[in-house]
Amino acid sequence: MASFVPTSEETLEDQRLYTQARLTEVACLDCLAKVSVKKNSEHHTSIQWNDEALRQCPEFSRMDRSPGGRPVHAACPRLVASIEAAAREGLVPIGAEDGW
Amino acid sequence: MSDTATKTRALDHGAPPERFARGWHCLGLESMFNDGKPHAVEAFGGKLVVWSDTQGNINVLDGYCRHMGGDLTQGTVKGDEIACPFHDWRWGGDGKCKSIPYARRVPLRARTQKYPAVIRNGHLMIWHDVEGSEADLDILPPELPGVGTDEYTDWTWEVLDVPTAHCREIIDNVVDMAHFFYIHFAFPTSFRNVFEGHVATQFMESKGRPDMGGSGYGDADLVLKSEASYYGPSYMINWLWVDYKGFETEVILINCHVPTSDNSFKLQYGVCVKKPEGVDEETAQYIGKRYSDTFKEGFEQDVHIWLNKAPVQNPLLCEEDGPVYQLRRWYEQFYVDKADVVPEMTDRFEFEVDTTKANEYWQEEVAENLRRKAEQEGAGHGHAEAERSDDVAPDSAMTGT
Repeated sequence: MASFVPTSEETLEDQRLYTQARLTEVACLDCLAKVSVKKNSEHHTSIQWNDEALRQCPEFSRMDRSPGGRPVHAACPRLVASIEAAAREGLVPIGAEDGW
Repeated sequence: MSDTATKTRALDHGAPPERFARGWHCLGLESMFNDGKPHAVEAFGGKLVVWSDTQGNINVLDGYCRHMGGDLTQGTVKGDEIACPFHDWRWGGDGKCKSIPYARRVPLRARTQKYPAVIRNGHLMIWHDVEGSEADLDILPPELPGVGTDEYTDWTWEVLDVPTAHCREIIDNVVDMAHFFYIHFAFPTSFRNVFEGHVATQFMESKGRPDMGGSGYGDADLVLKSEASYYGPSYMINWLWVDYKGFETEVILINCHVPTSDNSFKLQYGVCVKKPEGVDEETAQYIGKRYSDTFKEGFEQDVHIWLNKAPVQNPLLCEEDGPVYQLRRWYEQFYVDKADVVPEMTDRFEFEVDTTKANEYWQEEVAENLRRKAEQEGAGHGHAEAERSDDVAPDSAMTGT
């Protein structure tokens, strides 16, 4: 049961637009983990992982083991590079719709 | 024009959740509760009693005696137990009634609501779950190495009452890039969110606004790097690396809250500072106090907004905004039964906000403000700015909230 209950059907559509619309699948060039990506602009990136992809990423496990590291990893540099490459090749469309 | 472009947009206020979040909540510093006296804490729509027993363990129970409803927070600690002021029923930290001095025996059903308590980083943490689950020690906030030793200053601690807003308002700030310019007078130059499991993080770099220096807020000499993570629904650890006029300080801010009703909460925050080399004890503690004072202004600015805004389930976002919907999807995991937590609430999600355009526009706005200010001062309408700054801490530094 949802806890914060929207009172309008349109809110559910907004939730869908902002969280699920316009996602493109990108595979990491190194570990082949597949994530869903959206780019509203060149500097903007939204990355949705799933459990399987996360388990596949050796970079995060390596960071977990490295001493003195931060508790939360901001990004996997290999995946970032892979997304940049995909965007350069035109595989990830760049630009937003109406704010989403 | 299409329908979408012309239709008036309505705010969906939604309905607040019927429950309080599952997870660890911080009630304050351990030292606030270990004086052998009962303490009252407003939380989760009621009142809790907190006391320390002869072994120094801190116990937390529902504040009202299961006999005739006496207020245990006005009772007395007798041995290891809290004694009710009404009929002297004695309650142990395990939630069981241990004795009733005037009775032949204690009823078997004399068991009250207990909240498992753990001290972490000098803070009293309690586990809350409407489903009554075992406390999950695996998701306690991480220990902060060095904190509580001579390496860091003592925690400061402050409480702000937020009487008319749901605590999700403060959570929303995790993704709110633009409010840092308008409410906290800084340029957020880099902004990124990562949500994964029970942790939601904001990575931010910012600079102070030079046009706000005179009012004691923003300060152009201030460069800040911030990493702020919610460990569960209510306890944020905010690591701040502050460069002020070349003087670097490592600050740890705890920003936490306790919901008191479905439309109110108590915001609490504490600061400790890594003692800079070559700085004496007194100055080090002073720096900690200065940061606490300065963060107070920031929190008050936020509170003012929350007390006056409308609740909104359907925020309308622009391209420069952070991932509000995904953050709320993450937050939802604490408000549903454990069995109803779905992967999309906890799967890792990353969002890099594009701050380039926003900062271009803001630089122009600030330049214009400075130009106007100079003009006024040139015309004799200005007043001399009091020099409040010293070199150890800025008059105001932003946090990740």
